[in-house]
Amino acid sequence: MTPARSIRRQEASLASLGAMASDLRRRYAAPEVKRGRAWPIATSRREAECRNVAGRQLNLGAALLSLSVLADSGVEHYRGSFQNRAMYVPLGVSALTLAASLFGVADTRERPHVARDSLYGLAAATGAVGVAFHLYNIMKRPAKMSWLNLFYAAPVGAPVALALAGALGRGAEKVRDDRSTRILGHSAGRALGLLTSVGLAGTIAEAGLLHFRGAFQNPGMFLPVTLPPVAAGLLAASVVRPGKMIQRAAKASLKLTALLGVGGVAFHAYGVARQMGGWRNWSQNLLNGPPLPAPPSFTGLALAGLAALSLAYNE
Amino acid sequence: MSAESAPRAINGRAPDVFRPGGWVRMREYSEDEQVDFAIVGTGAGGGTLACKLAEYGFSVVAFDAGPYWRPLEDFASDEMHQSKLYWTDERIVDGETPLQLGANNSGKSVGGSTVHFAMVSLRFRPEWFKSRSVLGYGADWPLDWREMWDYYTEVEQALKISGPVNYPWGPKRPRYPYRPHELNAAALVLAEGAEALGIDWTPTPLATLSAPRGLAHPCVYRGMCVIGCSTNAKQSVLVTWLPRALNAGAEIRDLAMVGSIEHDAQGLVTGVHYMREGRWRFQKARNVVVAGYSIETPRLLLNSASGKFPEGLANSSGLVGKNLMVQSNQAVWGISEREIRSYKGPPSLAITEHWNYNDEGKDFHGGYAYMSQGPLPIIWGNTESSKRGLWGQPLLDEMEKYNHQVGLKIVGETLPQERNRVTLTDERDQYGLRIPRVTYSFCDNDKRLIDHSLRFMRQALQATDARDIWDEIDDTAHLNGTARMGFDRKSSVVDADCRSWDIRNLWICDGSVFPTVGGVNPSLTIQAIACRTADRILAMSRRGEL
Amino acid sequence: MTERYPGYDVLNKRNSPSWNDQTREVIDARLAIDAQSHRFCDETEWQVLCAVCDQIIPQAAGHLAKVPIAAMIDQKLYTRKGDGYRDARLPEQGEAWRKGLAAINAEATLADGKPFCELTDEQRRAVLVKIQRGDAASPAWEGLPPSLFFVKRLLHDIVTAYYAHPSSWSDIGFGGPASPRGYVRMNFDRRDPWEAAEAAPGREDEARQENEHVG
Repeated sequence: MTPARSIRRQEASLASLGAMASDLRRRYAAPEVKRGRAWPIATSRREAECRNVAGRQLNLGAALLSLSVLADSGVEHYRGSFQNRAMYVPLGVSALTLAASLFGVADTRERPHVARDSLYGLAAATGAVGVAFHLYNIMKRPAKMSWLNLFYAAPVGAPVALALAGALGRGAEKVRDDRSTRILGHSAGRALGLLTSVGLAGTIAEAGLLHFRGAFQNPGMFLPVTLPPVAAGLLAASVVRPGKMIQRAAKASLKLTALLGVGGVAFHAYGVARQMGGWRNWSQNLLNGPPLPAPPSFTGLALAGLAALSLAYNE
Repeated sequence: MSAESAPRAINGRAPDVFRPGGWVRMREYSEDEQVDFAIVGTGAGGGTLACKLAEYGFSVVAFDAGPYWRPLEDFASDEMHQSKLYWTDERIVDGETPLQLGANNSGKSVGGSTVHFAMVSLRFRPEWFKSRSVLGYGADWPLDWREMWDYYTEVEQALKISGPVNYPWGPKRPRYPYRPHELNAAALVLAEGAEALGIDWTPTPLATLSAPRGLAHPCVYRGMCVIGCSTNAKQSVLVTWLPRALNAGAEIRDLAMVGSIEHDAQGLVTGVHYMREGRWRFQKARNVVVAGYSIETPRLLLNSASGKFPEGLANSSGLVGKNLMVQSNQAVWGISEREIRSYKGPPSLAITEHWNYNDEGKDFHGGYAYMSQGPLPIIWGNTESSKRGLWGQPLLDEMEKYNHQVGLKIVGETLPQERNRVTLTDERDQYGLRIPRVTYSFCDNDKRLIDHSLRFMRQALQATDARDIWDEIDDTAHLNGTARMGFDRKSSVVDADCRSWDIRNLWICDGSVFPTVGGVNPSLTIQAIACRTADRILAMSRRGEL
Repeated sequence: MTERYPGYDVLNKRNSPSWNDQTREVIDARLAIDAQSHRFCDETEWQVLCAVCDQIIPQAAGHLAKVPIAAMIDQKLYTRKGDGYRDARLPEQGEAWRKGLAAINAEATLADGKPFCELTDEQRRAVLVKIQRGDAASPAWEGLPPSLFFVKRLLHDIVTAYYAHPSSWSDIGFGGPASPRGYVRMNFDRRDPWEAAEAAPGREDEARQENEHVG
């Protein structure tokens, strides 16, 4: 709280003639601070550190997402016998994205890195192309867009995880660069918060679809469609209309969602053991049973959401 | 101790089919104790009824000639060995189109034929319950389709049927409890053909799990459904209704062949004579339910003939054993350029009921569904040799294309004909009981339906990449009709409540009560009838009408 | 004739999750059948039965064990293991086979003046074709409709025995026993690593290499 207030005091004193600006600021609770062209300001040290931490947390989120994609697409494309050569691409790209993200987490310099930035761009593009491939896979089968193919053809939402890793990673890089803190016309925190919220919604839909396929036969299968939606909603609300209570609630629910991503792996492992032949029949059950690499994408997104939250509340 | 050498459901316990080596407590009744219901047969009719009646508080002893299998431990992945699931005691077949029995349609297991069935779980088209008055052929059922619709739901829920989210035909039905299975290549060929011809198709509603259920595992797609499911994914009576029945206090007696039903001077039944552990015994009962399926049920009623009932029990109409209906099971087969490997997954993962619900252009009465197939080596070898006439090197050459073989097979309606019947011969089996003769001939209507289906399926296959297409014309499935349900004692054996007209405490609750057979597999309807019968019995009991 | 699934043997999966204890017990017993053992047939019947089996299923020497079809049928007849039904026009299976084998011999003598086992391959085939078509002329067929016997009894029992044996499964690329492990990939042109690899024309070695890893 202190760094933000001190910034506002500084600006208030600078903008003594800008009474209108003060009025506006007082009217809107969201501290929509203008930077850059109008007011060249010396950024406070703490705020820069805060953004750096947030940036690296976004890198971590992207890392988890790309790890999830690497493992999940690896298993699923292996199951698909790499029928189409292009099925190797997401493995390569997600591996590179993972490496870049881990580098990003470790890198404390307050600058974007051109290699990371490019790789994230590649990830985003690959994810988008992947969605097209998966849609084609659905549409070329009998029944085309149908429940049957949503259940069993290439999962439409899965490549989006790679695109999200790319987008969040780009966000991470942008946030380190204090010369431009606006993303698509919004403050970084708000833009990334909304992006993460949408990303969560997509992941919830994917998990919900597959748990629907599994007839919600275990009560635990309701968790990813009840808790994360709350977190996604609170996250979106708190970056659009900030408030202390809502921020706390968003933070708590995001942390729980992060835990759910880990707990989900345990649930899925139980699910694999539950199939005929259990772990001994791993060559079938790792492919046919609940996917172990899928739940950590919730953790990745939750971490990104927490980073976006802290960005938003520092702006 | 193998399930076939000595009974397992004895000494106060029965096998727990979900736990290897496990047991569940089983209530036992003394033979001198007059139980409320003695049920002969524990299949789709008898097993379901045993469960419902026990849950309603009646005392029930259910008998089955077959063994009490533990699927997780007893079932091998071998066609020849698994013939142990079928009725392999001798029966004679004749008529113009003699039937294939045994592995084709007759089970001998606790759980009946549902232990080996292909799990296709379909509802009747509503109009079929009034085939005569609404569609102009066959006979009317004394049942209302709307009432049956609710009982179908009960059965689908009890079996956790894995079916499509939306069903293309018929009145609205509740969502199937589990989601459909993934299609294998053979099913995709059906889908391709159907889409090319512009008709609807659907993933088949199947009584095998697409997700875990309790201690039962979901399907592993091993494709050996008809030789016994070793994972308990298949929701046979053995792993659904019977565990509930035991829990509710029913007793099951395995390896117990009922030879005759006893009656008193007033003409009411008093119990059953059965052979178990090498000697004949007698169980007293207030009511007897016969649920041995369409050959054993009439056989038992006829074998129970006495001075008072020289034509057999419940046979004042003379219809016991008559109106035997099968379903036509013809197929077209072809060879695809693509690898099909249809041995993977349940045999019929996709189906179309188009010709059950559309009547334009038909030159026959009735309907048929057709579905994809996945024959195992022995049955396929026999199809290529006995049905197609191949042997020697030509057979081996054709069999080498096994992984490219693909086909479509019907379940087609046949009309009730009194000449198609089950009678007794003078030959006797290992129990000393007279064995049945099963006489069957297709009528002209049946043949026209078959021809229509072969023409249509050929078109459907040709619309895909299948070539070298040939017709399999000699095959039938299922058995129904030999103790039909009806409106009066002259034209039927039992009433709408499955109670025989002649003997008020003798009931028949299995596929033999069907007045018509429709163009869908009978198992779901048999179980629905059993659920309804249990409700009717409860209502009658409360009104003192039993 | 090149093999379609070179080097594939379902027995290689015996100790994999594709087989369970019950399956191993059953298949071991089948593999242990003595190909020469015959308790039902007498010597003449046995010779004819073996010769007929060789015509219906000509087994070329290969890396897979020869299926003891005649011994399996003899065992079925000796133990009186039935199929659960019998066409009214045919006697029970044991009697049908005895009569049928004798009638085949009689038919051979009628056609070529020698017993079945002394005929050439071509002559044997011709005799069987006659019987299949219902053109059999010998009075030895009295009470046994030849064509019906051929289809319902002879073909049925021989083909059943052959395709009950792992060698035939390996030959046609069938997955074989499958419990607890079933199958994952069910779409067109897909195989699980534990299934048979089909040889593309001219590329048998690739398939053979794949099949050597099946287990």
